[in-house]
Amino acid sequence: MSWNKVAVVGAGLIKMGELFEQSYEQMAAGAFTAALGSVDKGLDKSAIDAVIVATQRGSLWGQEGIGGNTVPSAIGLSGVACTRVENACPSGSDAFRIGAMVVASGVHDIVLVIGVEKMRDKSTQEGLLARAAAGHPLYNRGETAPVLFAPFATRHMHEFGTTPEMLASVAVKNHHNGCLDPYAHFRSEITVEQVLASPMVCSPLRLLDCCPQTDGAAAILLTSAERAHEFTDKPVFVAGFGVATDHPYLHEKTSFVGLPATTLASGRAYEMAGVGPRDLDMAEVHDCFTITEILDIEDLGFVEKGKGGPASLEGETALDGRIPVNPSGGLLAKGHPIGATGIAQLTECWWQLREEAGERQVAIRQGFALQHNVGGRGSGVSVVNILTRNP
Amino acid sequence: MSPALEPTALKPVAILGVGAAAPSLRLAASDVGAAWGSGGGRGTVALCDADEDTLTLAWGAAHGALEAAGITAREVSGLWWGTARPPFAEGPSHAFLAATLGLDRAGGGGLSSGSPHAGIEAVIGAWDALAAGHAQFALVVTSDALIPGLGTAGETTTGAGAAAMVLGALPDASEGPSTNGSSPAARLVARTTRAMPAVDRYRADGDSATGDVYDARLFREEVFVPLLTETGRAVAGDVSSPVESWAIADPDGRLGTAVAKRLGAPLASAPVFGALGDAGAASALLGLVHVCAETGSAGSLIGVIGYGGGRATALVVDAARAVPGACSVEALGAGRRVTYPEALRARGQLEPMDDPIEMGLPPGGAAFVRGNPEMLGLFGARCRECGTISTPPSIHPTCTGCGGTQLDIVALARRGRVETFVVNQTMPPPFQAPLPLVVIDLEDGARLMVQGSPADAAELAVGDEVALSLRRYALERGIPVYGYKAFRVAGTAFVSGGLASDGLVSGATVGSGQDRAAKEGGS
Repeated sequence: MSWNKVAVVGAGLIKMGELFEQSYEQMAAGAFTAALGSVDKGLDKSAIDAVIVATQRGSLWGQEGIGGNTVPSAIGLSGVACTRVENACPSGSDAFRIGAMVVASGVHDIVLVIGVEKMRDKSTQEGLLARAAAGHPLYNRGETAPVLFAPFATRHMHEFGTTPEMLASVAVKNHHNGCLDPYAHFRSEITVEQVLASPMVCSPLRLLDCCPQTDGAAAILLTSAERAHEFTDKPVFVAGFGVATDHPYLHEKTSFVGLPATTLASGRAYEMAGVGPRDLDMAEVHDCFTITEILDIEDLGFVEKGKGGPASLEGETALDGRIPVNPSGGLLAKGHPIGATGIAQLTECWWQLREEAGERQVAIRQGFALQHNVGGRGSGVSVVNILTRNP
Repeated sequence: MSPALEPTALKPVAILGVGAAAPSLRLAASDVGAAWGSGGGRGTVALCDADEDTLTLAWGAAHGALEAAGITAREVSGLWWGTARPPFAEGPSHAFLAATLGLDRAGGGGLSSGSPHAGIEAVIGAWDALAAGHAQFALVVTSDALIPGLGTAGETTTGAGAAAMVLGALPDASEGPSTNGSSPAARLVARTTRAMPAVDRYRADGDSATGDVYDARLFREEVFVPLLTETGRAVAGDVSSPVESWAIADPDGRLGTAVAKRLGAPLASAPVFGALGDAGAASALLGLVHVCAETGSAGSLIGVIGYGGGRATALVVDAARAVPGACSVEALGAGRRVTYPEALRARGQLEPMDDPIEMGLPPGGAAFVRGNPEMLGLFGARCRECGTISTPPSIHPTCTGCGGTQLDIVALARRGRVETFVVNQTMPPPFQAPLPLVVIDLEDGARLMVQGSPADAAELAVGDEVALSLRRYALERGIPVYGYKAFRVAGTAFVSGGLASDGLVSGATVGSGQDRAAKEGGS
């Protein structure tokens, strides 16, 4: 039996991309407007009594110390209760999980969960790449984001014979899906050959194995299951969730062919939702790099450990496959504005379960969708949320 | 006879082992000539890669000498280091090197600097401490990597390298040559010094490179050749048998020969300049290490002359048999040939206009004060419950294996196998691609992630055997930051660790921060 105490009654995002022309505040306002406009029966914004903001790295736009008051003022809700959540790449999905618990607690009735991330106000060299010099002065020196995942690709290839073509097939599929998603950063088809011919970024990962740096924002409105029908006849319920951690440094990993935080988090979410991987109609998973999606679909139990590569190559995760993964285009094509990413993924799940996803709509048979992020230093934290349209 | 030191009063000391190290790059003199449109120059010189300096070279040579002598770092009474370019012109150079070698924190010795004569001064310092009975075993390290001024003649002659010796005190009775098998392989038996206040190559306070400000002919005829000849003759007069070969610090590949000719014995150290160029403070001992490997015949006397800053000191080594660790300069490896622009970049003389990305933590800050011993000494925290080694100790108050809090600080093994790796191609300055990052399973079971060698990037594979070697990770806000990098054993000749790899680190904190807090709290 699913948890189902909290419902999503509105969700929306802005077109992802290098949004040089928009400020952090303007992106937040855009996402909020989209979410508010999506509420079938309308929702008076003054009824929102708490906001949870997910922004992972304010320092990328010169605001390390942003707090809970930045967003409410920008979206016309100054005065409302607001808290910022930061939990690495799962910041958005964790803000959602916390929002659901806040509503379930009965303390707040209508909660806005909003993720906003400015990734491109600083140059690449001063932004994400600068982390090469951050962290432990020696143990992490040179550790840009791909370094956190490429060692898993090296080892996955070594142990299971996973090939560069299998990795590339993930990028090809997600770029195809992105073509069908008007909100995606990249909307162009690519081929396996193009992926394999793209420049090496961090071996064995090439440029097209990597997600772009994307500005973006996404927002979701939550209320209790009891009140959901005041706002929509097609609510989507929070069936369950889980969060889990792992040791933060790569040299503390006992294995380089899986991410234990994902396995733990999804196990908790499945138990809470009363479902298993076979009950899902689709999933939005963390594909910051192609290898990450291959690890994810294994760690989430969609395929056996070691079979993620062949499954991807053979189309099991395509829109019409056994378990469609990342119909939105995923982080690889839609983009990865960190704090917004999880909320944008949940928005996709909401659309899919309501069968409003247009050309990229997957078949909804059992009424369950899973959303997943993994990240932080050494992929040391993962959040999984499961949504359902089944009451 | 020197008025300052009575040779008969000089107590010999034993040479128990020697070691040497060369940097990884080589530059052809003809490439320098081509860059300046002068077209001249013969041979190659050695130079440091961007992650090497006089400290990393000294570390390599010292490890070799300790291993050859069969002396552990903890038995050494002190470290005498001579270099004209300590990594900190003013700062904790000696303390850093001692920490990387695992020497006792109470150890003595000192850092000699100021000119390339510093190398021989380090020998004298150690010798006197042993002779005085203040030390039992002394580690002498000489290293240099001078940076020649752009466009100076020094660009085609300045090299780099390091040589080290472990010296031991001799019983008072042990005078004269010994034929006993238990006697030392070699002894230092005579020395003399001569000074002449004349300026040659020098580097002023605030200068980053060494300039040639002198008249080369004047220096040869009036300073170097007469001064070294006088010094060599003086020391040869202090010993009863003829000096059979000479190892002479040679600034340009010709002056040493000129001196040896006047002294009437061959310049046996000549290949050192040919292979490495002028290795500054390390030249004289590099010559000795080479000569010891080449001769090694019983009872031969080897003369050694170091020069720099208007002073020359000559030593006589009585080599009874092959000295442990002695190796020819060719055995130090041929290095990797680089172009002139690559050489300039490696020496920090060619820098991009972009500001380099700063390290997240200032190297003078608390994290380094806490972390330097464990980073330089390469320590882990071993769990008393399950044996798991967590690294580095300062960020692991609890065991990553079982959560235990009773942890012992241990020196990590220096060899292991590649569990997985990446080669990073995309980083901002000051990083240079390709940069391998390697997760290694060490022989003691600890797992570590460190940088690898760019030279190994193309061939690196899961399962490769690698050895850890000290390197300069960064020159951060002007401060050198050191750590260990992984090198494929097949690809690079490197000393294995001379530390007692399983031993506890004495004096290190045992237990976690929590335990310590609990003790202080009296609970």
